Amino acid sequence: MAQQTLEQISRSWTTRRDEKRRRMQQVQPWMEGPILPRTKMIDALETLIVSGDRIVLEGDNQKQADFLSRSLVKVDAKKLHDLHLIISSISRPEHLTLFELGIAKKVDFAFAGPQSLRVSQLLEDGKLDIGAIHTYVELYARLFVDLVPNVVLVCAEQADAEGNLYTGPNTEDTPVIIEAAAFHDGIVIVQVNEIVDKLPRVDIPASWVDVVVEADRPFAVEPLFTRDPRHITDLQILTGMMVIRGIYEKHQVQSLNHGIGFDTAAIELLLPTYGESLGLRGKICKHFALNPHPTLIPAIESGWVESVHSFGSEVGMDDYIRARPDIFFTGRDGSLRSNRVLCQLAGQYAVDAFIGATLQMDGDANSSTVTTGRLAGFGGAPNMGHDPHGRRHSTPAWLDLKTNEDPNLPGRKLVVQTLETFAKGGEPAFVETLDAVEVGKKAGMPITPIMIYGSDVSHVVTEEGIAYLYKTEGIEERRRALAAVAGVSPVGLKAKAHETAELRRRGVIAFPEDIGVRRLQANRSLLAARSMEDLVAWSDGLYQPPAKFRSW
Amino acid sequence: MSQTNIIPDFVMRRSFIELNGRARAQSLFDEGTWKELVGPFDRIESPWLPMQGIAPQSDDGCIVIKGKIGGSAAVAIAFEGAFQGGSVGEVSGAKMTAALDLATKDSESGRPTAAVLLLETGGVRLQEANLGLAAVAEVISSILALRQHAPVITIIAGTVGCFGGMSLAAGVSSYTIMTREARLGLNGPEVIEQESGIDEFDASDRALIWAIHGGEQRVGMGLADTLVEDDSEKIAAAVRSYIRAGVPIEHRSRQVKLYRDRIAALDTSQQIDPATLRHQWGNSTGGAR
Repeated sequence: MAQQTLEQISRSWTTRRDEKRRRMQQVQPWMEGPILPRTKMIDALETLIVSGDRIVLEGDNQKQADFLSRSLVKVDAKKLHDLHLIISSISRPEHLTLFELGIAKKVDFAFAGPQSLRVSQLLEDGKLDIGAIHTYVELYARLFVDLVPNVVLVCAEQADAEGNLYTGPNTEDTPVIIEAAAFHDGIVIVQVNEIVDKLPRVDIPASWVDVVVEADRPFAVEPLFTRDPRHITDLQILTGMMVIRGIYEKHQVQSLNHGIGFDTAAIELLLPTYGESLGLRGKICKHFALNPHPTLIPAIESGWVESVHSFGSEVGMDDYIRARPDIFFTGRDGSLRSNRVLCQLAGQYAVDAFIGATLQMDGDANSSTVTTGRLAGFGGAPNMGHDPHGRRHSTPAWLDLKTNEDPNLPGRKLVVQTLETFAKGGEPAFVETLDAVEVGKKAGMPITPIMIYGSDVSHVVTEEGIAYLYKTEGIEERRRALAAVAGVSPVGLKAKAHETAELRRRGVIAFPEDIGVRRLQANRSLLAARSMEDLVAWSDGLYQPPAKFRSW
Repeated sequence: MSQTNIIPDFVMRRSFIELNGRARAQSLFDEGTWKELVGPFDRIESPWLPMQGIAPQSDDGCIVIKGKIGGSAAVAIAFEGAFQGGSVGEVSGAKMTAALDLATKDSESGRPTAAVLLLETGGVRLQEANLGLAAVAEVISSILALRQHAPVITIIAGTVGCFGGMSLAAGVSSYTIMTREARLGLNGPEVIEQESGIDEFDASDRALIWAIHGGEQRVGMGLADTLVEDDSEKIAAAVRSYIRAGVPIEHRSRQVKLYRDRIAALDTSQQIDPATLRHQWGNSTGGAR
């Protein structure tokens, strides 16, 4: 007993703090306040990070701390190796070069879109261990539980001499990553586009920041949420019309999150025209948890949208947002303030509906964007594409999905999936078995990487019609309802005409004519904008599309 | 519930780019005056495409419409950019040549007939290479014959643009109308990149492509005549005004000395940028209208 007390007395409770002080003292001679000269970047990384450390590298599907990632691949792998990398999105080639060089060994991530093929290869070659593949919010949540970082590498637009940061319109993940380190004696290293005398606003206070370095060029940002209206097809317009009538109008959906596909871009562009002709303005689609989609401009300009909270910004939208502070969340300086975690939270708990396109769906309505040979991860879709059982407030749409009278049972969030029955190249989108099953097995995952579980899906919309899955009784009826709208795919061929007629009679499925949608009306002349130029005109020249979307 | 309250006028305009080749051609004519010649129901298809596993189209992607524009006789020949990139094959080339020759014949016998070429085309159809090349030669010689009697007006609206052999047809036209989204060039961006490397031309750099091939630049340089909005009514009005204007005093393609001198005067010791070229050529007097 006495022995144990002695042990307790001699134990240090400040090991993390002491270790941080030790590392910071070594780089202090190179620094002026929090500012480190760019030329010492690699030395500083070799000093501030220690082999085996858990580090977070900021990089999501939009902005990337690319100066820091480009610097990290240049460290001496003999000095610095076997890092445990935590990263939202494996997007840049150098993220994986870290593993090829042995600088990093283990990774926890949420998404690997552009690099998904290489992730699979490195995994097979034994160069990379995967901790787990997450959704965005659960990865951030773990930064405060069992994945607390030693060092975080993040980016900001500007810093001042004291180390205060302006993260600007693309604030995104920076606050949550910094918080996990700054308040648990981790080291916060920030690349900034420029160091200025006075910041437009302070997004992160200097006392949370340890090292600031001016990058060689502005951090990389992808315009991921821009959809050129030129590429919206008549079929997507038909689907959009069905969603507006058969879902938004029917259930009075007022707050929502849209995916980034062309289906939802079509819906956004149908609101001011088709939606207006139905007299729905002010009744549906008022609040969005959504990035500033350029295709939302016409709906905003014509008075449909009351508020938009965003995960991140979108390239080219800054001036437009600045001129519409009633709609967007902006700082005192006038520019957008985005926050991925808070927007994900809003998308989970505060909206009536999530709607997104998917690539593949099985007969039970499980869906996945995983395709053979690629380990793409989940991103944020599952965070919003599920019915959060922790929700307690009610809205008309949430209550409208309640299929029983029992006051002890909750309402339900709308989780809507859209897909064409056949994908590009004549491949059926409805399949017997998802590609994800095989991919999951190969990658040694304990469960299949399903993006959105069928049990969470309330509606499926195809060019054939809508399946109101939430209305189905039992798994068999659910399968029949899905088959009824699955066209001539392997799943759809199981539909029987008399069963489909009965489901249609009961309103479990609906074809366009059942909800007052005329197929022949579905053409591009219905779109409020048919080109990028139209979007610019709607914005009165405030929206400046990036070069890759310009055709003038 | 009046839509006019919230929808700006430009949304309600009839976009020309949105129309297919046939609807584009039809939109130019006085109402009730036009008919299609050798239409899809005549089923004159490319015999070469099926041999190469490609489904042919019953009009071979070339639409010929005869009628009246602003009261004057005219023929419109449109290439459908959505079919095989608007390419010129044996059948489509023959349709175009025949239509131009008939217009010349009518013009020579006292019924001046203007031609409007709607060119959304990558040029010669690779699957019918030699026949396509021959067709381009015939087309150009037919344009040269017709343009002495009546104007030949080219419209390039987008989004395919006008490249390859058909850019030569545009070059010998009396007038060329473009939108900002349209492109005009001999070699397409991908071809230049493939042949001369990415340092010469980066075909993924859209800003660069439009700065060089785009409608604004081509009109600004004087290699095309009018920049119009993507609006069917405005494009039709531009066509009517050129038909009224008739044959130009001197065709651009006859001004060989002017262009030789201009090219000779360029300072090639440094990279010439599009804006400079536009300034130098666009402002010079004479030549380009």
